[in-house]
Order: sequence, then structure tokens, then C-alpha cells
Amino acid sequence: MKKNTTVLLFALSAIAISIDACKKPEPAEPAEQELITTMKLIVTDGSSSQTFTYKVENGLGSTTGGSTQIDTIKLAPNKTYSVTTELYNEKENPAENITLEIIEERNDHLLLYNSTPASGAGSISFTNGSKDKDGNPFNQTISFTTGNAGSGSLQVNLMHEPTNKAGTTPAASGGETDAEVIYPVRIQ
Amino acid sequence: MRYCILGMFVFMLNGVVTAQNCSYTLTITVVETHNFSPVYPSVVFVEPLNKSFETNERGEFVMDKVCAGEYTFHVHAVGYMPKVDTLMVSGSRPYKIKISLEDHQLKGVEVTGQRQQTVLQPKEQMNREGIVAGSGKSLGDLLQAVNGVSTLGNGATIVKPVIHGLHSNRIMLLNNGIRQEDQQWGNEHAPNIDPFLANTITVIKGAAGVRYGTDAIGGVVLVEPAPLTRKPGWNGEVNMAGFGNNRMGAFSGMMAHNFKKLPALSFRVQGTYKQGGNYRIPGYWAANTGVKEVNYSAALGYKKLHYGAEVFYSHFNTHLGIYRGSHTGNMADLTNAINSSKPLIPATFTYEVGRPKQHVSHDLVKAKIYQDSRIGLWTMVYGYQHNFRQEYDVLRKENGKAQLNLTLNTQTLNLNLDHKPLKGRISGQAGIDAVFQDNFFRQGDRLFIPTYRSFGGAAYLIERYRKNNWQLEGGLRYDYRWYGVYNPEGNAQTLVYYDFLYSNPSGTLGFNQQLKDNWQWGVTFANAWRAPQASELFSAGLHHGAARVEIGNKSLLPEQSYSLNAETKYVFAKKLTIDASVYSQLIDRYIYLEPGKDLLTIRGYFKTFNYKQTDAMLNGADVSFNYRANEHLDLFVKGSTVLGKDRTENEWLVLMPSDRVMSGIKYSTTISPNVTNCFFGIDGKYVFQQKRIPSYFDVIDFPRPPKGYFLLDLSAGGDVHLGKQPLNISLSVLNALNAKYRDYMDVFRYFIDQPGTNVVLRLNLPLEFSKS
Repeated sequence: MKKNTTVLLFALSAIAISIDACKKPEPAEPAEQELITTMKLIVTDGSSSQTFTYKVENGLGSTTGGSTQIDTIKLAPNKTYSVTTELYNEKENPAENITLEIIEERNDHLLLYNSTPASGAGSISFTNGSKDKDGNPFNQTISFTTGNAGSGSLQVNLMHEPTNKAGTTPAASGGETDAEVIYPVRIQ
Repeated sequence: MRYCILGMFVFMLNGVVTAQNCSYTLTITVVETHNFSPVYPSVVFVEPLNKSFETNERGEFVMDKVCAGEYTFHVHAVGYMPKVDTLMVSGSRPYKIKISLEDHQLKGVEVTGQRQQTVLQPKEQMNREGIVAGSGKSLGDLLQAVNGVSTLGNGATIVKPVIHGLHSNRIMLLNNGIRQEDQQWGNEHAPNIDPFLANTITVIKGAAGVRYGTDAIGGVVLVEPAPLTRKPGWNGEVNMAGFGNNRMGAFSGMMAHNFKKLPALSFRVQGTYKQGGNYRIPGYWAANTGVKEVNYSAALGYKKLHYGAEVFYSHFNTHLGIYRGSHTGNMADLTNAINSSKPLIPATFTYEVGRPKQHVSHDLVKAKIYQDSRIGLWTMVYGYQHNFRQEYDVLRKENGKAQLNLTLNTQTLNLNLDHKPLKGRISGQAGIDAVFQDNFFRQGDRLFIPTYRSFGGAAYLIERYRKNNWQLEGGLRYDYRWYGVYNPEGNAQTLVYYDFLYSNPSGTLGFNQQLKDNWQWGVTFANAWRAPQASELFSAGLHHGAARVEIGNKSLLPEQSYSLNAETKYVFAKKLTIDASVYSQLIDRYIYLEPGKDLLTIRGYFKTFNYKQTDAMLNGADVSFNYRANEHLDLFVKGSTVLGKDRTENEWLVLMPSDRVMSGIKYSTTISPNVTNCFFGIDGKYVFQQKRIPSYFDVIDFPRPPKGYFLLDLSAGGDVHLGKQPLNISLSVLNALNAKYRDYMDVFRYFIDQPGTNVVLRLNLPLEFSKS
């Protein structure tokens, strides 16, 4: 009796699996996970506002590049601006605003700003970065203070799960880089 | 068997039946009555061990650590009359069993159902004792004990075997006779096989495409469960292993039964549970490296005189954590990890597994029928495999979902005829193979491998001519393989259909000669091929561990391999056994990754690598010395080397295992009738730094291969008899010196050291419930 049951179980499982095997796979469409295509710096001096875009549409899952747009940050010398950093996935239509998700998960994220040169002509310095729920740096909004006229570059990193939120460079903060963009900077 | 029986001794704990002097070695040879030619293949069932042995090409098998007493041998071979022979054992000795060719009638021939799996080629076998002695280890880890086999890993939990420098899709695993199809294309995809299920593991080194099919250009690993019990009543086995380093426990149990009233019918059920937490590297815990595995299997067999049938089902299920720090966002993250002197992710001990992690399940259903006839033994085997692989990436925001859900369904059919020996000298087999495969992912998954279907067919013939002390084997095979692929392309990821058709002949020729009783040699030429796999044709993704983008190449052609292997075995004064084999393998159109243009992404620039083809040559040698000083003391030294060259560029190939040397000493003795087979062993292994790297190495990889390292293992154990119940206990200390080291063939070499000291306690309890 027992063996019959076993045989039956085997037969049933074999049949079940064969049926499963006969289903034709509908070719599915893949999607790049949690894609970020675009960073926008919204820079205001109190009266007027400018947006500087850094966009690389090429998702890592696809071999073909989409469009690329890298704005040059043009600011006046020796002046303080308030800045909001926003992130988007522009492969979605309408574009997905990822900023909201990052603000929600701000304890696990950190924005880092590094200027080359770090001081003097063409530099930007950073103050008043926003904090996360625990009062640690998050920097989604921040103030830029420009140096004398000159040119340089600005690197902005979005770090995920940093091990040290007090760090000001990716190496010091640790974690995984979700975005790393380098804007050309001209202070004039 | 021949390399291994001594070579493995340090890993070996022998199950024991009685509490007498159990140190004898019996070499049994099965020969034909009239011309004394060895009979191969034949299966010999030995009572009261209740074990089956298979003869090798010389018609022999070796029983180690045999106790004094009376033994009965039941010999079965296709085309021969069955034979029952009894032997009183009172010392080590060779023994010949003579069997006669059957008349042209079927009377009295019992079909063994154990079709010969191996071909005339260098191979090494690990027996049940060796497997039990390493219980709890993954298959890849276990196989490291075989000379010429190394590993490719992602830390301690994802380990896959490398045979003679080749791995992944260039080697083949046969699980219970069915070619394992478990998506082993990536280096983070370990074989989904439970080693507790194995009774023997055989490693065939070098191309063995004719018998086993395409792709096996590096070698074949055969994982075979024990034959179903033929002894009426119940028997079973319990295995337990506890690992100190990651606080891992492994439990495995097996029960088997043969029906007294229906002796043709037997069944077996088996299950394994294994769970471990973060492992410890010298000074630190490795974050998120836990593992949990649940496996079970069942087998049912019906075996009559001339026919029989078997069904087998197994389920393998694993959850594997991947070291959190190995998931890097870009080149800068990777460089930070490489330059850090300590793991970037702090961790404590936990059994919990978070992202990144993998979940893989593998189901196998196998059905087999066999029938003896006038011309030979017919066997038909159908296999169905369902492999489901989920990868959980690190996410900005937890959504509970896997980012990759890949399914690979494979159906295989093999029809084989082992024909009866012609004129007593020519034996062989012929057959056909068919395979049908479906691979698909879920809507919205991260792209890894495109959806494809594949169909393959093949026919083969292998014949062996035997005369006096030599034998010659030749084989031919023709394969055909078709793929239909739906590849998402372009900015909109539109599906584009491609199909590919590959077909190819392959052949093998082998010669083997027993020059003297203590000296034999052989040479094998083998040709095999491998079709490019979907990942090589179509991959277009980021490898987080290496922070690089790999780009497939649709114009790849099949790899062709031609290999020549020579081996010899010589025994000095019955004490020192020397095994040496050298090989040379040409692989035309060897597929590899070549660095391409840097790719700008939102995370900065990434290195890209394109799949290219070149002509490669692999040369190498495996040498072992085993010295049996007396019945208590055994020593061994063995070493292997492989030199992989790009013939076109005259450069070394990347990711080739470095040279290694292993040595061990083992003292065994029996303390009292109730405490037998006690042993103490010390094993050392030195792995050299890989210095054979291409001149352009720094362009494609950083840092250079890690320094050489030395590992010391200690082990002690024995059999304790509690009344009639034997219990096998062993205690091992792995990496006893807590060496801090990294391995070139381990992806985690960028991030963390390999595990430190690991103390392992193992128990093995054979159960016997026969009615007396």
C-alpha cells in the first residue's frame, strides 16, 4: 500500500512538472533596477533660480547610450546660493522623481559635494547641509559659496548606506555610490 | 579509484562492521575464465559489507581497511554468467574472481542496472568515506582534495570546482547520471548539489566530450548516490557536522528499505539541513555571509533478473548571503575597498541574511528503465530539471522582491546500449542523447540572460579492444545544438529574435597498458567542443563585485579543444606509489574577456569588457606520491601545475589557478575492540602566488594576484562501538594557524580575507535494522 502511494506521488509530481514545462515562456521585458539618469542642481540667489542638469541616459542594463547632457555650472564670484539637489529617472515617462524616495530613506543616503580646486579662484565651498532624521548630514539642500572668478569642477556623489555620515568624500563616508557626477564649473 | 584510495586517506574515515583487526587491503580482479582478460565494467556486491564496487579498466577494485572474516562476492557483468564467490580474509592480498561468458541464452544473468559511467581517461574517485570525512562542505570545497582540482569562489560559501584550469561551463557535472543544468555560467553560481547524497564522486580530468556531450572540455564530475539496497529490511545513516567558525550545523539522514516479500523493490529517502551564520576572517566578521540549505531526495527502484526501473527525485534549496562589501557602486568604491586594510562593512555574528543574497532551488526528476537482451543492456533515462534562481540586489528602498528571477527548465533523454563483448575482446556502447531547454526571467527583472530556448541532439559510439595487457578505446560523437534567443536591445529594450545552430563531430582515442604488476601507463587523445553560451553572446550588464560592464558578442563561434594526456602509475616495493600525469590542451577560439572603451554612466566611468576569441593552450601536470610506511603510518605529497597561454598574443591567460603542493601524514591504529580505526592526521597545503599573468594585467585588473599562502589542517577521529552500534567521530581544525590570506581565484580577494580557523566536529552513525 505504502509503495503504491509513493509511486502515485512520483507519477503526480512528474505530471505536474511536465505540465509546467509545457507552458511557453512569454519573452519578458527586462528593466534596469532603480535607475537614475539625471541629477539636477537647482541654484537660487534669492531672486532668480537656475537649474544645472547632468544626464546620462544610458542604463547599465543596455548597451546603447541614450542622450547625454552635462551643463556647465556658471555662477557669480564671492556669492552665496542655496541649492537643492534632485534626482530623476527620465527613462520613465513621465520622469520618475527619485528625490522623494531618497528623502524618505534619508538615514541611508548621503549627498557629497567636492570642489576642485577646493579653495581660491574657481572654487565652491559648502555650508548648511540638510540633516537626516537623526541629525546626521544628508545634504539634499545645501549652500554654495563661490570663490573668485575662475574655472574648476564640482563632483556630487549620492552614497547609499554610508558607514560614516560625517565623511565628506566617498572614501571617507563609505557606502555604495548610487550616482557620481562631475560638472564643469565657471565662476565669472 | 587508483589515485585516490591512498591519496585521500587523510580525509578518510572508514565505516566499520566488526571490531577486529581491520587494516587489510584487498585488491580484487575480475577476469574472464579462459583468457584471463579483465572484465570491465562489472559490479561486485560484497557481503556482509552490503556495498557495491565497480571494477576499473583493469578489471579491479580495491577494498581498503578490510576486517578479517568471511566475505561473499556477487559479481555481475553484462554478457557474463553471474558468479558468487566466497573468500576468507586473514591478511592483505590480491584475489582473482573468474567469470565466464554466458551462452547465447539469457539464463541466470542479472542485470545490474549500474551502467558504466566512465571512460578510459585520467580520473580520481572520492568514496563515501572521503565524502563523510568532509561532510558539511560544499561540493566545490570537497573536490579540492583531488589533485588537479582547485576552486573558483565568492568567499567561503560560493565555491565551484576548477579542473585543470577550466571551470563553469567548460566542465560538466553529472548528478546521478543526469547532466546538471543549474545556470552555472557565472562565477557566483555554485553547483546546486547536496554532497550528502553522494556515495562516490568521480572527477574525470580533461576533455570527455564523446561520452558526456558538448562543453565538457575541461573535465567531468560524476556525483553518484549509492545503489539502492538489496538487503531485506531497513538501513540508514545519520550524519552531523558542527563548524565553529560560522557556527554552522549540518544534519543529514538517510533511510533505505528493501521489501522482504518483494525483493525486487527498494526505496530510499534522504534529507539534509544546513545553517550557518557570518563567517570569521582573521580579526573580523564577514558581513552577510550566512547560508541556509534544505535538501531532500527519494528514490524507488524495481529490479528483476533481466529488467528494472528506477525513479529518483531530489530537491535542493539554498539561501546564500553575499558579503555586503562586495556590492560596489562604481570604480571609486572598488578602489576604496581594495585599498582598505580592514573590511569596509563592520559586522558581528548573526544567522540573518540580508541583501545582497541569492536563493536557488533545483529539482530533479529522473526515470530510468533497463532491459537485458541478446545484444546487450538497453537503458533509457529521462531527466527533468527545474532550476529557479533569485538574486536580491542592494536597494535604495526595500520592496521585498528579487531583482532577478531566472528559470531554467531542462529535459534530457538518453538511450544507450552496452553491447555484449564481441569475441570476448571488444566491448562498448552506443547511444543517442536529446536535450530541450527553456530559460526565462520575469517581467521587469534586471537584465542578465535573455530568454532562450534550446534543442540539442547527439549520437555516439565508444568501443574498446582488449588484448593481453593492453587496451585501446576509440569513440565518436556527433552533436547538434540549436538556440532561439529573444534579446532586448536598444534604448527601448525591444525584443529582437536570433537563432543559432551549431553542430560538430568529436572523437577520442585512448591506450592503456599494464607493463608489469606494479607499472602501468596510458595515453588519451580527446577532442571536444563547446558552443558559446547565452551570457557570452548577449550579456550587457554590470558586475557589482568587479565594478565592470561585460558586453556579449553575437558573432562568437564554438570553442574547439584537442587534448593529449599521458599518465603512469608505478609502485616501488609495495610501499611507494607514484602517480604522474601530464597534459597538453589546445583550445581554438577560446572565449575570454578583452577590455574595451570606458563607459560613462550616472555613476561615473566603468571599465567595459567585450567577449572575444583567441587560440589558447593549456599545459600541466599532476603528480602524487603515496608512501605506506607500515600498517599504521601513511604519508603523501602531491602537487599540480597548469600553464595557460594565449597562443595568438603569446601572453598568459588570466584567472588560471596557481601551482599548489599538498602534503600529509596520518597515523592510524586500533586502541581496543570497541575503539577502532583511530587516526591522527596533519595536512599542509601551499598555494603559490600566480605570477603567470599577462603583461597587460594592470590594465584589466587591480591589484596583482595575492601572495602565496600556507594552510595547516589537523584531524583526529575513530570508530566507537556502543554495543553493536558503531559511531564514527572526528574532530578537525581547518586553517589551524589562522592564516590571513586571499586567493587569486576568489572574487572576494578585492574585499576580504578568506576564513580563519574553523573547528569541525563530525558524527557519522550507520544504522542497521535487519531482522536476525
